[in-house]
This record gives sequence, structure tokens and C-alpha cells, in this order.
Amino acid sequence: MKEIVEPSPAEKWEVQLRKGCLELAILAALWEGRLYGLEILRVLESNSELIVSEGTIYPLLTRLKTLGLVESEWVESDSGHPRKYYALTQAGRERAREMAAMWEKFSLSMGRLLTSVKEVHR
Amino acid sequence: MNAHGGPQLKIEQYLSEVRGRLRGLREEQVSEIIAELRSHIAERAASAGELTVEGVSAALRTLGSSEELAREYAADEVLARAEISRSPLRLIDSLFSWATMSVAGFLVLIGAITGYFVGLVFLVVALLKPFHPATAGLWALRNGADDLELSMRMGFGAAPSNGHELLGWWIMPLGIVIGCGLVILTTRLALWCVGMYRRSRRLGWRA
Repeated sequence: MKEIVEPSPAEKWEVQLRKGCLELAILAALWEGRLYGLEILRVLESNSELIVSEGTIYPLLTRLKTLGLVESEWVESDSGHPRKYYALTQAGRERAREMAAMWEKFSLSMGRLLTSVKEVHR
Repeated sequence: MNAHGGPQLKIEQYLSEVRGRLRGLREEQVSEIIAELRSHIAERAASAGELTVEGVSAALRTLGSSEELAREYAADEVLARAEISRSPLRLIDSLFSWATMSVAGFLVLIGAITGYFVGLVFLVVALLKPFHPATAGLWALRNGADDLELSMRMGFGAAPSNGHELLGWWIMPLGIVIGCGLVILTTRLALWCVGMYRRSRRLGWRA
């Protein structure tokens, strides 16, 4: 029988943190230009600690498209199957800028607050 | 799933399960989702070389169960549609789709229908008052047990003999203000519920 390992509270919190940032991470990944789903996953895996389950990213991309933050187009590829490329819309760029500014502010405040915690940890 | 049916069959079986569970979405969206998943699985599975059953199994494992994946798609899409709804009719339409997926959606739908219905009654009665000045309005009526009850009447037919009208011509401004207020409040509350639910789903423990 397969044993189900219950995640620790810290692991649960880490997943919540990652998922909460995922929307901004996807918009940021698309900042430089269009990418298809698997490329977005690779960018997230290589540029950050944001390793997410693949089943999470596609529904989120569909939602971002419905909200008008990204647009998509099918492009034929050499691999034999078409790929669905996503690109930021103007609204998506504005949202990414807003979220990045909020993130910056939040991160600075948390950094100040956590200074003492990090010193104890050292 | 049949493990001996070849990698392509395995992919199609998985996609067929996802398709069957994508309730509440338009057919063109479903087709696009399935096409994108097919492309993803094929590329992921073939990244190590030839397309094999083992490669497909590994790709499907990373996507998660067809049930969970379809649920994520359906909820995300329907909730996003509800969030960008600007008219009560479009919002109700999206809430109907949400109600087919969860108890929360059903409860929000019932609340929204009730809010819109009561708001609409106030508006209709206010607008009918000039046509039925003696009968349309808010009435206090005595029922069979001699209890007093309030009734919003559109004014068709004769005036009731067991009660009296309360607001007179005041029903017009009050009805319009209360009716519009209820419609706006209901829309905002429903959208707030949708936003809260979506955030709670996104932050749930589903690694």
C-alpha cells in the first residue's frame, strides 16, 4: 500500500508562497517575449526556486488569457506538433509592472523585519 | 489505463478523461485545452528520445490526475469569466457553470439570484406605480391568522380589501434606489465571493 507522507507545516507554507507568486512569475517570464507552456516551466525552473507542478501552470495560463493579460497563438514547430505560444498584452504588461512594484515594497519590508531572525540563525 | 496500448493510445485515453470532466467550458475552449495538453505531453515524453509508454507515463505523472487537472481548468476558467463579468446576466451565467462544480458555487448562485430577484421586484413595482397608482406598492396585509405581513404588489387586479398601502408615491424613488442598490450590492458580493474562492483554491495544498 502506498504510504502518503503528510507535508510539514513549513513545506505547506512554502507551496502556498510559491503558488501565490506564480501569476507574477509567469508574467515576468513572458516579459522578454513569447514562450510556450513547456518553455515557461523551464524558465521558472532555471531562473528561480519556483518549481511548480505542471498541472498548475496550464489552467493558470488559460485564466490569464481569459482575463486579457496574455494572448496566444499556435505555431507549427519542427518537432512535428504545433505549440501554443503566449505573449503579454498591454494589460498584462501593466499588471506585471504593478505587481512587481508591490512585490518590491513587500520584499523590502519583510527584509527589514527578518534582519534580526537571520542574525539569530547565523 | 491500458499500459500495453502504445504511447499514443495512453495519451489519448488521458486526454479523453480530461475532456469528459471539463464541464462548464465552451467546446472551442475544451478543444484548445486538449490540443495544448497533447502537444505538451508529446514533447515532454519525447524529450529523452523516442516516444515510449514509460516516457508518456512520466509526463502524465507530472501533469497530475486527469480529474484534478480538469477541476483546476474548469474552476480557474469559470471563476475568471465570472470576475470579468460586468452585467448581472453574464455573471449569473458564469455562476451557473460554477454551481455545477462546487457547493460554494451553488450557494453563491442562490444568493445572487435572490438578491437580483428582490432588487428587480423593487424596480418593477416603482416603475409600475404611475400605471397602477391605487394598487402598486408596498402593502401591509392581514392574513387568515390575523397576522400582519408585507407584500410588494405590482398592482394588477383589484386593490386588496384586507390591508393598506404603506409608502404611496414614495415607492417610486425608494424602489428605484433600493432596487438599483440591491443589484449593485449583489454583483459586488458575488464577485467578492468568486475572488475569495479563487484565492483560497490557488493557495490550497495541491503541490
